[in-house]
Amino acid sequence: MRVQLKATHSAANPGLRRALKIAAAGLLASGTGKAQEVPPDAPSTGVDSGVLYYHENGRVQAIEPELNLSQMFGEDSKLSIGAVGDALTGATPLGAVPSTLPQTYIRPYKVVPLGTPVTVTTASGGSTVVLVPPAAGATTQTLAASTIVPANTYPLDHAFHDDRFAGHIGWEQALTSTLKLNGGLAYSKEHDYRSESANIGLSKDFFAHNTTLDAGLNYESDLSFPIGGTPTPLTVINGDWKGPDASRHEVDAVAGITQVMNRRWLATLSYSYADAHGYQNDPYKIISVVDPISGQPNSQLYESRPESRRKQSVFLDNKIHLSSDVISVSLRGYKDDWGIKSVTADLRYRFQIGQDYYIEPHVRYYDQRAADFFRYYLVAGEAMPQYASADTRLAKFHAATYGMKFGMPLNEGSEFNVRIEYYDQHGNGSPAYAIGQLRQQNLFPDLQAVTVLLGYTYAF
Amino acid sequence: MARERKDLSTNFTAMASPCVVLVDSSDSLLGEAVGDLVKSEALRIEMKFSRYRPSVVTHINEHAGDAVLVDEESADLLDYAALCYRLSEGLFDITSGVLRRVWKFDGTGTLPTSARVQQALEFVGWHRVRWNRPVLQLAPGMEIDFGGIGKEYAVDRALALVQKRTPVPVLVNLGGDLRVTGLRHDGAPWRVVIEDVDRLGSSAGLLELSHGAIATSGNTHRFLEKDGIRYGHVLNPKSGWPIDEAPRSITVHADTCTEAGQLAKLALLRGAGAEQFLEFEQVRAWCIR
Repeated sequence: MRVQLKATHSAANPGLRRALKIAAAGLLASGTGKAQEVPPDAPSTGVDSGVLYYHENGRVQAIEPELNLSQMFGEDSKLSIGAVGDALTGATPLGAVPSTLPQTYIRPYKVVPLGTPVTVTTASGGSTVVLVPPAAGATTQTLAASTIVPANTYPLDHAFHDDRFAGHIGWEQALTSTLKLNGGLAYSKEHDYRSESANIGLSKDFFAHNTTLDAGLNYESDLSFPIGGTPTPLTVINGDWKGPDASRHEVDAVAGITQVMNRRWLATLSYSYADAHGYQNDPYKIISVVDPISGQPNSQLYESRPESRRKQSVFLDNKIHLSSDVISVSLRGYKDDWGIKSVTADLRYRFQIGQDYYIEPHVRYYDQRAADFFRYYLVAGEAMPQYASADTRLAKFHAATYGMKFGMPLNEGSEFNVRIEYYDQHGNGSPAYAIGQLRQQNLFPDLQAVTVLLGYTYAF
Repeated sequence: MARERKDLSTNFTAMASPCVVLVDSSDSLLGEAVGDLVKSEALRIEMKFSRYRPSVVTHINEHAGDAVLVDEESADLLDYAALCYRLSEGLFDITSGVLRRVWKFDGTGTLPTSARVQQALEFVGWHRVRWNRPVLQLAPGMEIDFGGIGKEYAVDRALALVQKRTPVPVLVNLGGDLRVTGLRHDGAPWRVVIEDVDRLGSSAGLLELSHGAIATSGNTHRFLEKDGIRYGHVLNPKSGWPIDEAPRSITVHADTCTEAGQLAKLALLRGAGAEQFLEFEQVRAWCIR
């Protein structure tokens, strides 16, 4: 039996056919401007130690023990050495935009000889180990890790884990009664990053020590060796092993003046200039390319930042000693040639309670303008910029820190203190120009973090 | 397959089928170039998704149980297969190939036991697959193949390559699934013969094709007869048994070969309801029972 069916063509295709037509057509068409910490006043000779605990809402947590020792040698020389360790775990933003559909992210994991049985099916942080099909004749098997981000969820990399060790050694030498020379070396190592730096500085007192001029130079050399190699900027993310290690060099110069304004008021004004060259990308940060109509991410690219960065900042610090309390007020202005401009205002008030205890409330406000090349996402079909990053640390945002420090003497010369700080960051999660489904997403979730620092200092 | 005398033709074998490329031109160099282009694309797709030689598919199948990263093109095909699974309510399933190990349509007349079918069914079902583009994880023992998609996909891909290269009218026919670039030079449609299933080699009808593609599903020569009951070759991946009263072959016309082939397959899987399905979906089709 042979049946020829009626070939009726209607304007509207029924649902199944329409879905199939669209799918078939689709198939065939395919082809930081972070605020700097004011250095603590270290005792001239003694021990300064602490343990810091840091926790972000639903993201990173870190434990950081720290130990600093300083020792005077005679009247004129001081040696200081210090070490700090960090253990960071948790989740960090990938840079990609959320979607109304689940998204899968791939990153290189490791390379094993071909034929190695892969017994691990889950890597850290809930990601899955994935076999990358080897090329013909390959003798190694590349493993990738994939992370599935559920629909309408801000994409985070849950496999984030880092241990850091840093140490420094410094020497300060009085050359004359008014001239001091200092120098130091510092080293910091993470499993995918290494930094070495050397600094030298001079300080000269004038007018019976009422005025001090400082000048310093710091050279830093960093090496980045990310897991999976260094990706090529603005290429599609995949599980392949990437390029070799990448280095970065930075020279910092700082000049400052400290002036005793009156017997209660000490003011410091300083200017710093830094010039960095080399690899400045975050090798794990990616940026989404979205459909110009639907706003759905089509692909994910590795970010691209300029290879050079010039930074300038001005810092004004005031310490005012009242009868027993101390007020510290500082302002910092920062700008760089990436287009970031920021202002930091910091206020601490140290209440002396009786002879021994003190309590120090702390408020800080930070406001930042975005880097010129910051983009929440790129749009498919538009010209590809030379630089683009969706790292929200380069976005416009403001943040406030509220803290409290409590100090108590233990016995002669030693003090125990505890500091608790709450950090509250807000960016623009709904830019007015957002496309399609991105209008219903939060592109820059607020961030809250708590820091607890237990400190112990002992002055000899 | 009708052929105008002046067409330049290239014949080759790919995907275990005779293939032919017709170029409506007198430029023999162009005819050869277009033929080579189609042939190399067909062979590329055959190699890439072969079930027998080292390929993306054998890599996935050998690592059933592990998560495997797939390239963009394979991911597109998997997305498409997943959609077809959903649209067919589970009847079109690229994991159903495992059933062929128990059903041998080799004319010996041996039926598998229910127990063996049940056993094989443990390894069948797209719902057991974890597909999170671009990562695919089959359950251990499972297999996939693109047999139900690959040939039609190759027709469309090859034709697209041809169209990038030349505006000359071309017909690409890979084992009976074919597509044309449009009307011939003189404004006439292409004439295509539908094979008579009862008398192989003879024509059962002539079809005029002015645009789009036609694809045929159904293997008219493969069935299994036992105790007077004829068991068809179209297996239901949900039950593990042949679909009742499936037409012997369905030929569908659509804009793309991929779409035509899928419509033909979905219709075939409806068994007795094939014609009704095709009519409801307003498909231009020829059903042979």
